[in-house]
Amino acid sequence: MMSDLHSNWYPIASSSDLPKRHVYQAQLLGREFAVWRADDGHVNVWENRCLHRGVRLSIGINNGTELKCQYHGWRYANRTAGCTYIPAHPADAPARTICNNTYPAIESHGLVWSGEEASGDLLSLDGFDSATVLRAVPVFAPMNMVAEALLGYGWDDSCKGAANDDGSVTVTAGDGTAVRIFVQPMDSNHSVMRGLVNQAPAGAGRAELLQTHSWLMQELRDRVEVLAAKQEAPAPYEPVIAKVSEDLVDIPALGTDGRKAELRVQLVKKEMTAEGIVSLRLEPIKGQLPTFQPGAHIDVHLPNGLVRQYSITNGPGETDHYTIGVKREGDGRGGSAAVHDSLQEGDVLAISAPRNNFPLRRDAEHTVFIAGGIGVTPMIAMARALNAQGLSFEFHYFVQSDDHVAFKQQIGEFERALTIHKGLSPEATGAKLKEVLAEPGFARHVYICGPGPMLEATRGIAASQGWTDEAVHFEYFANTAEVDDSTAFEVDLARSALTLQVPAGKTILEVLREHGIDMPSSCEQGACGTCRCGVIEGEVIHQDVYLSNAEKAEGKSIMTCVSRAASDRLILDI
Amino acid sequence: MLKLYDYELSGNCYKLRLLLSFLGVEYKSELIDFYPGNQHKSPEFRQINPLGQLPVIDDNGLVLRDAQAILVYLASKYDPSCKWYPRDNPEMLGQISQWLAFADGITGTASAARLHDALFYNHIDVEAARAGAHRLFRVLDEHLFFAEEAGQDWICPGDHPTIADIACFPYIMLSEEGGIPRIDYPAIRRWSDRFKRIPGFTVMSGVFPAGPAAKDSSKAVA
Repeated sequence: MMSDLHSNWYPIASSSDLPKRHVYQAQLLGREFAVWRADDGHVNVWENRCLHRGVRLSIGINNGTELKCQYHGWRYANRTAGCTYIPAHPADAPARTICNNTYPAIESHGLVWSGEEASGDLLSLDGFDSATVLRAVPVFAPMNMVAEALLGYGWDDSCKGAANDDGSVTVTAGDGTAVRIFVQPMDSNHSVMRGLVNQAPAGAGRAELLQTHSWLMQELRDRVEVLAAKQEAPAPYEPVIAKVSEDLVDIPALGTDGRKAELRVQLVKKEMTAEGIVSLRLEPIKGQLPTFQPGAHIDVHLPNGLVRQYSITNGPGETDHYTIGVKREGDGRGGSAAVHDSLQEGDVLAISAPRNNFPLRRDAEHTVFIAGGIGVTPMIAMARALNAQGLSFEFHYFVQSDDHVAFKQQIGEFERALTIHKGLSPEATGAKLKEVLAEPGFARHVYICGPGPMLEATRGIAASQGWTDEAVHFEYFANTAEVDDSTAFEVDLARSALTLQVPAGKTILEVLREHGIDMPSSCEQGACGTCRCGVIEGEVIHQDVYLSNAEKAEGKSIMTCVSRAASDRLILDI
Repeated sequence: MLKLYDYELSGNCYKLRLLLSFLGVEYKSELIDFYPGNQHKSPEFRQINPLGQLPVIDDNGLVLRDAQAILVYLASKYDPSCKWYPRDNPEMLGQISQWLAFADGITGTASAARLHDALFYNHIDVEAARAGAHRLFRVLDEHLFFAEEAGQDWICPGDHPTIADIACFPYIMLSEEGGIPRIDYPAIRRWSDRFKRIPGFTVMSGVFPAGPAAKDSSKAVA
């Protein structure tokens, strides 16, 4: 009998009980549900408790795509009920196993139907395709007692009640007006009457119909409650609520990922600054943020577990916030998509302290900035710093069109030095760069940041125009080269007095970490320069895009995240 | 400056904090240690309010007690828009007064049950208090259901909330602290979402904020 009830479909709400951004509290056979409609119209029927501390999700916040618990802000996604964000662990992606229980839901005839183990189609509701959903009336009485009383329900003398196979009751009047009333068993002694009328009048007719039945059902309720109070209340249902596994309740163990996310910031403003580029203003939870150098970047730990590097665009001395820009990468691995789609104003994020591997020389007589697309971000901070000091520079910003110009307000600060080059073909860009880089000279420096091909071309042009390696500074977004990790070799750590074996398939950085050596890192693909280490002896196969050709030839440094030994042994200064 | 004799956990004091916040009126809270200090029954406080009850205001020497009375006074005096208490509209005033009395009934039942469960008022017949609260909630839920049907968001007609909404809100929202679930009152729950979205809304311990409304319409159903 019990299992029969659990496999039935019952109406648990009216469609009109689920306006957007509301969370409805429902109950069926003793089990509570949090029921909510996402902005896409999908109706979610979930276990009414947060997996974290068991607080009811029905007091949570429906933000249109996610349901957020009031207690500690855990967020769960529409449809899957998977946890998307844990504010206390902004550096860690919630495990995929953190997923609330969901129950089947069908929205039909103006009602929302569910059942713990319901499957298959609803029973047909012939004759009620154009129906009015009556106001639901809860009753403190067992389902069967309510159903029995409903057989005597009626609004005139011609009314006759009949029980249906699904446990509902249909009351038909002489004129063909019919009301079908379903009894939703909330608990063993608590039910809800939900009625459909086979008519759909509008205006005053509708109001009158709803009021008549609201009144009549409440009268019936009062009679049934008197009866129910006379008998002993049945024992409440005891729904089994799946326990949360121990490893979800515990504080997560320290990760092996050595990337540090020591700062907590709040995303206070998120806005589009150009086509496909979102600007994020991050403010400290308390106090000030660490000072940064122009050109510095931070690691941002995203809710989906990815870690991404973004340059700070701030002007000098602005430490009450960091502003970063993030371009949506259509073919990316999900970092930029997470920023654009998941992050919301008010979210707490874990970030690293700023790190500067793209330092700006302040002793130049003249500085040339060449920015392509989103590569503009570190250069904005650099140019603002030079501008504040009144130092000589020019700023060339290559973009597809006017709509792609980001951070207009910030670059407006140095308008007199700014030239925006719009919609140039690669050939035209090359010609323009030749012009811009025509005059190398003593104490003149050039800084380049942009897409890989543009960067390569610019470095080539600079070299052919006579700029020395030392005067050309660049930052790649990513290392697109295939990294070869097939060799095995030994590393001696001079300061740590350790000899470690680096097998094929592992990086020097990973091996260092496994042995407890704390080596900072950030992008871990040979682009950012954070895991740079001095080389005392041995030959290096450089696989990064950070070091300049001169530095690579010199062989005094290695990027431990991608580069390897050409010799059998490397002695590192660590 | 307006002085409010205030206690954080009092729903009746919260009514006044809400209205003052909606109206943007500055005031000073004089904190009274209701529990465990029982300061509202002290001789000093009974000289301010012989009934020994919170809240009380002192507005430039005018001392007033009773949350509903103070709502009427503050809205009449400090709301130039006259929307919270439309004092030139007899039909509205009648309805508002009706619901202010109803709110007093909520205090006598739902708040009493909460005092029993949460603040150790052992002499209260908690079962009777809960049953009384359910009777009132059933009436209000039906009223709000048909108000929504008529396109009306608030307890009284019109497109703006009134002090009747403020008077009813706190002890409904705190009812679960007295063992009175609101699962049977969906129209009340939707109204409380709307109430929490009134600009200037503030929370108190046990009352949570609402999320932002949908951009198109808070009532839109897909």
